[in-house]
Amino acid sequence: MRLSLTNKGTGAKAGAGLHLSPALRIPAVLLVVALIAALPRVMNLYWIDVFVSIGLGVMLSLSLNVILGQTGIFNMGHAAFYAVGAYVTAILNTRFGIPVLWLLPVAGACAALFALVVARPIIHLRGDYLLVVTIGIVEIVRIALTNDPGGLTGGANGIFGIARPEIFGMKIRKGIDFYYLIWGGVGVTALLFWQLHNSRFGRALSCIKEDDIAAEGCGIDVAHYKLMAFVLGAFWAGMTGTLFAAKMTIISPSSFTFWDSVLLFAAVILGGGSLTGVILGAFLVFGLPEIFRDFAQARMLVFGLALMIMMIIRPQGILPPAPRRYDVRAFLASLRSGRQKDAASNAMRTAPDAGPNVKSEGEGGAS
Amino acid sequence: MKLLRTLVLGALGLVLPLSAHADTIKIGLMCPLTGGWASEGLDMKQIVGLLTDEVNKAGGINGKQLELIVEDDGGDPRTAALAAQKLAIAGVSAVIGTYGSAVTEAAQNILDESEILHIATGATSVRLTSKGMEYFFRTSPRDDEQGRVAAQYIKNLGYRKIAIVHDNSSYSKGLAEETRAVLEEEGVPVVFFDALTPKERDYSPILTKLRSAEPDLFFYPGYYPEAGLLLRQKKEMGWDVPMMGGDSVNNADLVQIAGLSSCEGFLFFSPPVPADLVTEKGKAFIAAYTKAYNSLPNSVWALLAGDAFNVLVEALRHTDGSSEAMAKYLKTELKDYTGITGTFSFSATGDRVGDLYQLYTVSPEGKFVVKR
Repeated sequence: MRLSLTNKGTGAKAGAGLHLSPALRIPAVLLVVALIAALPRVMNLYWIDVFVSIGLGVMLSLSLNVILGQTGIFNMGHAAFYAVGAYVTAILNTRFGIPVLWLLPVAGACAALFALVVARPIIHLRGDYLLVVTIGIVEIVRIALTNDPGGLTGGANGIFGIARPEIFGMKIRKGIDFYYLIWGGVGVTALLFWQLHNSRFGRALSCIKEDDIAAEGCGIDVAHYKLMAFVLGAFWAGMTGTLFAAKMTIISPSSFTFWDSVLLFAAVILGGGSLTGVILGAFLVFGLPEIFRDFAQARMLVFGLALMIMMIIRPQGILPPAPRRYDVRAFLASLRSGRQKDAASNAMRTAPDAGPNVKSEGEGGAS
Repeated sequence: MKLLRTLVLGALGLVLPLSAHADTIKIGLMCPLTGGWASEGLDMKQIVGLLTDEVNKAGGINGKQLELIVEDDGGDPRTAALAAQKLAIAGVSAVIGTYGSAVTEAAQNILDESEILHIATGATSVRLTSKGMEYFFRTSPRDDEQGRVAAQYIKNLGYRKIAIVHDNSSYSKGLAEETRAVLEEEGVPVVFFDALTPKERDYSPILTKLRSAEPDLFFYPGYYPEAGLLLRQKKEMGWDVPMMGGDSVNNADLVQIAGLSSCEGFLFFSPPVPADLVTEKGKAFIAAYTKAYNSLPNSVWALLAGDAFNVLVEALRHTDGSSEAMAKYLKTELKDYTGITGTFSFSATGDRVGDLYQLYTVSPEGKFVVKR
């Protein structure tokens, strides 16, 4: 993961994701951050909790977006990785008293390892076939958790008494504390995935999504990149599982069902695959059922109807990622004129393999 | 961005509290109206709704009308926590529900922090009442209750030499060990204690071993397929020792597997089905419910929500309505309350004290009838 993040290409920054001109992008992001930070002042405890729940949904949807939105792998079993992370946290915390936040990387690593093991044999499957297998995975995980293997998972009643997290001696306990913890997590997630999207790794994923045969032909190791997308998405879902376990203090298999996977899938598809789109999608998928609470039994019906209407109006999703644009002429011009001037500084800044990489993309954009 | 802001503003519109009724007492009900247990939740809603109407028609409580606020918990802890939070800020005096131990536990923490009286109805996990929460009660029995009930029945029926066989599942083994412990405490000897392997066809070897121990009752706390085979093969070897089972044999297929003649007189204990309620209040309520909705509640668990409502009304009538006073009343003053599902009190931990279970026997026609 680190490799791909530090390895971002220099020429690929323009025009992906948010459909705002670059000048407006930073003020818009700052506005949203300020809005999120200020919201709890006008919300009651219930809506703060709803937003915490939405925040977890956003993090999960963003992690699924790497697999589904960016690479185009139909994964409808994402709740399985989330469950692995949550249960690893719960078991290690309740049995050995390890502080919850230390378990973030552990839970992520376990979920990633689990993803590696289960996805390796099925990664060559395409479309619907892979989707069916991932549904199988999430069901197997749920049933395994319910069957209480080795007395570890507590069966249908789950695990309780998970400790509250602590940051610098401050105990995260109230809804408002979790609000800032989880939305802080969402911010970090969005930032990292934005970087990932603009990295060499992210471009390879986009390429695979558009046409994996062409990608293979360009020399991209498709199976490897698909697998890494899976592992990365699972890693992040596992870490979100830790935050979920810490918020709930009790987890049970009923939180990690096929239905939860479907909701995440819907959030990504509804969002369209861009970062902003997926965040909006998660807001709708996890927020609407709460807004529709007053409809009682019919609320899921109303929710489904709302989703259907949206899919009819915008079948491509709310905000599909903008096509990547590269200004080949400007690039070539800068290459020619700036060769002498920038040679020294560019050689320092760009990674050794970024040079040929950028060039090949310029060519890709021109064709 | 515009969409986000519209959404947030829309959400804020809903934050504003609804019109406040100062002259009503608000009661919260959490139940699964969506998800896999929705039928259970709908029953709970209808039962508590019917009882609320009855109380309001009779003049309310101390001159105040009751207002029932129902929230869907979706049968999942995440939604349940949100439902509990919503009830907490709605200013309810108490919350009834819900179905499922993990779901209840997620709500329990939130309601406890808000110091709201909480009466659970379908939550059997032992740990819920072992945390010392002051305002938590439940009208459902605990998981470890069955063992005590089994031992009680065995003792009351006058059996003196007991054989117990379980199937090594955690449910069956736990119940068998619990029963043995209580029986030995009460001075009833257990002469045989062993496990069988489920899903086999021939249990005559273990039955032969059992027979040589000469018990006067054979207790099998397992599931109905094995229980049926044991009954049949016991009959075939001409051994007529009485046999008893737990609530997991309560399935009509038992008679199919064992055969009519083999299972006549077989005893088992189980929570009653709604049609078999014994108390006057229970019979009257079932009549009223059938009249209102033209059907019976699906199971006894939803009726436990009705009893939670009943004791809550008692507590509201006899106290000033604060959580503290109501909790104290329920624990110390409400004794042997006869509700819909039986007569019970609450222990100091908030558990139901008083049997929910009933002893059933198989009639010559192969029907499960309450043994009185």
